Amino acid sequence: MALRIAELSLVAGRVYAIVGPNGAGKTTLLKLLALLERPSAGRLLFCGEECWERRRRLWQLRRRVTLVEQHPLLFDTTVARNVDYGLRVRGVPRAVRRERVAQCLSLVGLAGFENRRARALSGGEAQRVAVARAAALRPEVMLLDEPTSNVDEPSVAFMEELLRSLNELYGTTVVFATHDLTRAYRVADEVVGLAAGELADLGTENLFAGELKWHGEGCWFDTGKIQVAVLPPAAGVARHMSIAAEEIVLSRAPIVTSARNRFVGRITGLREEKHTVAVSVDVGEVLRVRITKLSFQEMRLAVGSTVHLAFKTSSVRLF
Amino acid sequence: MSEVFAGLWRNCATLAQAHHEILSIVGLSLSVSAVATAMAALVGVPVGFAIGLAEFPGRRLVITIFNSLMAIPTVVVGLFVYCLVTSQGPLGAFGLLFTPWAMVMGQFVLGTPIAVALTISAVQSLDPRVRLTIVSLGAGRIRGAVTLVSEARFALVAAIVASFARVISEVGSAMIVGGNIKGYTRTMTTAIALETSKGEFGQAIFLGIVLLLLAFSLNIFFQRLQGTRS
Repeated sequence: MALRIAELSLVAGRVYAIVGPNGAGKTTLLKLLALLERPSAGRLLFCGEECWERRRRLWQLRRRVTLVEQHPLLFDTTVARNVDYGLRVRGVPRAVRRERVAQCLSLVGLAGFENRRARALSGGEAQRVAVARAAALRPEVMLLDEPTSNVDEPSVAFMEELLRSLNELYGTTVVFATHDLTRAYRVADEVVGLAAGELADLGTENLFAGELKWHGEGCWFDTGKIQVAVLPPAAGVARHMSIAAEEIVLSRAPIVTSARNRFVGRITGLREEKHTVAVSVDVGEVLRVRITKLSFQEMRLAVGSTVHLAFKTSSVRLF
Repeated sequence: MSEVFAGLWRNCATLAQAHHEILSIVGLSLSVSAVATAMAALVGVPVGFAIGLAEFPGRRLVITIFNSLMAIPTVVVGLFVYCLVTSQGPLGAFGLLFTPWAMVMGQFVLGTPIAVALTISAVQSLDPRVRLTIVSLGAGRIRGAVTLVSEARFALVAAIVASFARVISEVGSAMIVGGNIKGYTRTMTTAIALETSKGEFGQAIFLGIVLLLLAFSLNIFFQRLQGTRS
């Protein structure tokens, strides 16, 4: 898959999701980031350093990054020998290796699996061993290609939590590819959209990062600038919220409604679309509202106009 | 036919007296073939790995050549080695003709293409993710190569066993460059050829059975090795 990416910067210590459909180029991008494939054009920098300039240096840089493939290959030996492989090739002493193996297997929920034959494991277990093998190296960057694709449904949440843990425990920059937008927003600090080899707008409007807060009788999502009433998520946690632009009611006058989210703000932008007008309203955060052209004309809206917004808690999607 | 079985019975009966000579024949066969196979593996496995992993112009032709050499007639190899070690040959000064070392040379030439071709096949049948995983986990060239060998170990053992089977069962080269000298260069296959030409079918069949038993033992060993994989 050919990639045509003008520029993409990933900040150390964050969790990134690369989201796109099959064939979007996610795996190619991960292999480029893992320094396993050389870009045919353009530059690839790691901490400001040109990666493919010197072969010896490339090898050193590769050791700071690890890729866990979608269908990871485990060597035909025991689980422990797989997990400590990278440590052995780095000459890490046996005692440290043994401790690290136990620690990483415990982290992925496979404590006591050391002496099992790696090739006899189930797909989900193999995936976890591959993550443990990568984590054992304490890499600066861990890349994972569809890490939940081989995992059964109950283990998906575990794997998602594991990705966050790797980031929080070791400060590892985690970059994972997924085709599931919900998962991406649930786990990642930032989401990179990819389609047909190019960076793409994921089409998610009014997307905000923040945290859940519980006070009074309700559950709120706090973006740091505004608080939005939301329905408590089943997972109990959420890192992002989005509100569909069509779900927000816009009015010149205060709105009398059962909707719990009501804001007053100023219009900062107007964009005419085919049958609608996209209105950007600053209510602390800039919310995008989509109204019909007829409504737009009737309300005589202009940049700087004060408007009232309202939307239901059920219109807020949490990730 | 009854003569054949009578001869075979006589041989079994006189095995006790003849055991020294038979053991010497079996011992020489095994040692010559083992040394030749070890040398073929030492050369053939790295060469096979290099060809299997590298991309270079003419690679397919090289693979075809090695595949063809697997079927090279043993007498042709015997003739080739004879030309090398005969007193007028380039290695004539070493006095190797009609010695076990000349037989080792012949068997080495026979066994190496098998080791190379089957190693190439083993490398090509390796999951491409093995190399990717090795690089991704930061292994250098040598550690990476060791891991590749480890991952291909069953196919490599099969290659070496096939090479051994080829050389221990050959007669043409051993006869030409060894000379079938009693107690010195007589192997099981050359002894079988000699006994058959003398009409001593019982002795020939007895040695044939020993050779077959060796082949069976090897196969059982290999199957057990494969069995440990699952």
